[in-house]
Amino acid sequence: MQASWKFTILYLLVGLVFFPFAYMILLSLSSEWRFPALLPSYLGLMHWKTLLGSEKGLLNSLFSSSVISVSVALVATSTGFILSRVVYYHPRKRWLNLLAYFPYILAPVVFAACLSFFFLKMGLFGNIQGVIVAQFLIAFPYALLFFSSFWNERLRSLEDLVATLGGSRYHAFRKVILPMAKGMLLVCFFQTFLISWFEYGLTSVIGIGKVQTLTIKVFMFIKEANYYYGAISCCLLIFPPIVLLYFNKKYIFKKMA
Amino acid sequence: MKNKGTHLGLLAFLLLGFLPFLAAFGYALLYSFGLVGVVNKGFTIQFWQAALASGTFFTSFLYSAAIALVSVLMSVGGALWITLKFREYLNRGFLSMVTYLPLAIPGIVTGFFVLQILSKAGFFARVAHYFGWIQEASEFPDLVNDRLAIGMILAFISLILPFFVLLFLNIYKNERVEDLSILAASLGASSGQVTRRVFLPILLHKARILIVLYFIFLLGSYEVPLILGQESPQMLSVLIIRELKQFDLDKISEGYVVAVCYTILVSITALVIFLPKRTKIYAG
Repeated sequence: MQASWKFTILYLLVGLVFFPFAYMILLSLSSEWRFPALLPSYLGLMHWKTLLGSEKGLLNSLFSSSVISVSVALVATSTGFILSRVVYYHPRKRWLNLLAYFPYILAPVVFAACLSFFFLKMGLFGNIQGVIVAQFLIAFPYALLFFSSFWNERLRSLEDLVATLGGSRYHAFRKVILPMAKGMLLVCFFQTFLISWFEYGLTSVIGIGKVQTLTIKVFMFIKEANYYYGAISCCLLIFPPIVLLYFNKKYIFKKMA
Repeated sequence: MKNKGTHLGLLAFLLLGFLPFLAAFGYALLYSFGLVGVVNKGFTIQFWQAALASGTFFTSFLYSAAIALVSVLMSVGGALWITLKFREYLNRGFLSMVTYLPLAIPGIVTGFFVLQILSKAGFFARVAHYFGWIQEASEFPDLVNDRLAIGMILAFISLILPFFVLLFLNIYKNERVEDLSILAASLGASSGQVTRRVFLPILLHKARILIVLYFIFLLGSYEVPLILGQESPQMLSVLIIRELKQFDLDKISEGYVVAVCYTILVSITALVIFLPKRTKIYAG
């Protein structure tokens, strides 16, 4: 009895996990689905074909989101990795880490609103470069704090060993540090990619509606009460992270464990 | 040479990691005192007086804090229960993948989804109509954009509960709670005592900083309250952005007052949580 009760709840929980995905796909495939109809009268690819083939620019948004997220993830991961080493080996590393927490826990939209004056002055307001820079400012502290657990005394000893054996700092980095950090670098890349991919508030403030990422499109369709197009944008927003999570879990977490 | 590289690295860290925060806070502070801004004429405390007298900030802060607290408590409670009851299933094969799936859903999609299922003409209203519980959409209770923020709280729970489940599963494994539980049971502890004295204290102690961090994140959340929140009171981030986008230029300065108060609050929390503690060398 106890086991069957457990399984019933477990199936219910699994159902709850899949429900949003199934509902978004169903909504994106339906049309004329109004109260009180429990199920849509039309199911098909009509909205997908219209939206992806029309002037609405959803493919442009997908492209913009991809360019922004890959750029942010690449730059934030590499700078976060390199600078976290400087911070970790500094005698005041705890205080420096503390400084990185301030931008990390501030709401990105408030951060962006307070920074918008400087972006305007630097010509970074309302363009894709500005959004990349702004998103980098919230992804970088994350990457830095993420890598703070990577550096340790054992790693430092290995670097010293390479130097003792005649290797340069480049050799130590290329042959020791980088291979050891590969898994963490990939995880950090995925995480910062997701931070950027999911970002809405900061993008709407710095992009002022001119940079239309997928999250901006979703909100635009909600405001227009165009829920079918909103659901298609949601599907495009959700599925790349699922693929990333799958590869993350299958190839990287296992190797790191 | 090595020192030069370290100094350059440190400078780059401060420029990229802390200077933008300082600049944002400094600008908001100057604006709130009338020292910068298009129509501001010089130092004044009138915007602070106006913002604090209106009480909007305090109401919004209390409203946001209450929603964040309820959401975090329910998520942590739910995640602890799921970990306690289902951990052996969630670590295996297909289900171990399923536990990661909710992480692929961003706040804006959760907000949209909750709006779709809980609004008066939403999916649950249709189910209620199908079973004859309601006749008109208007008979369905207010669950989104509502006074009690039910929609928002549900959205927040669905966003952070899966994360806490993963966190607790990891802590359970890494802290060898299973072994400790077996040891406690072999020493005569009942299953209730094992839960209260071993399971809960270890998991909550290890996760305490992240629990506070998630409270802060929810306090400043934007997308979900923008879609599911009501007009008044509003959550902090929504209130700040609304004030900063006002046509009445005086109101912009008041918006920066709220932004400064929020930033100070969050900074104090960061200081309390992450301030380097003097480590005890030897506890006699």
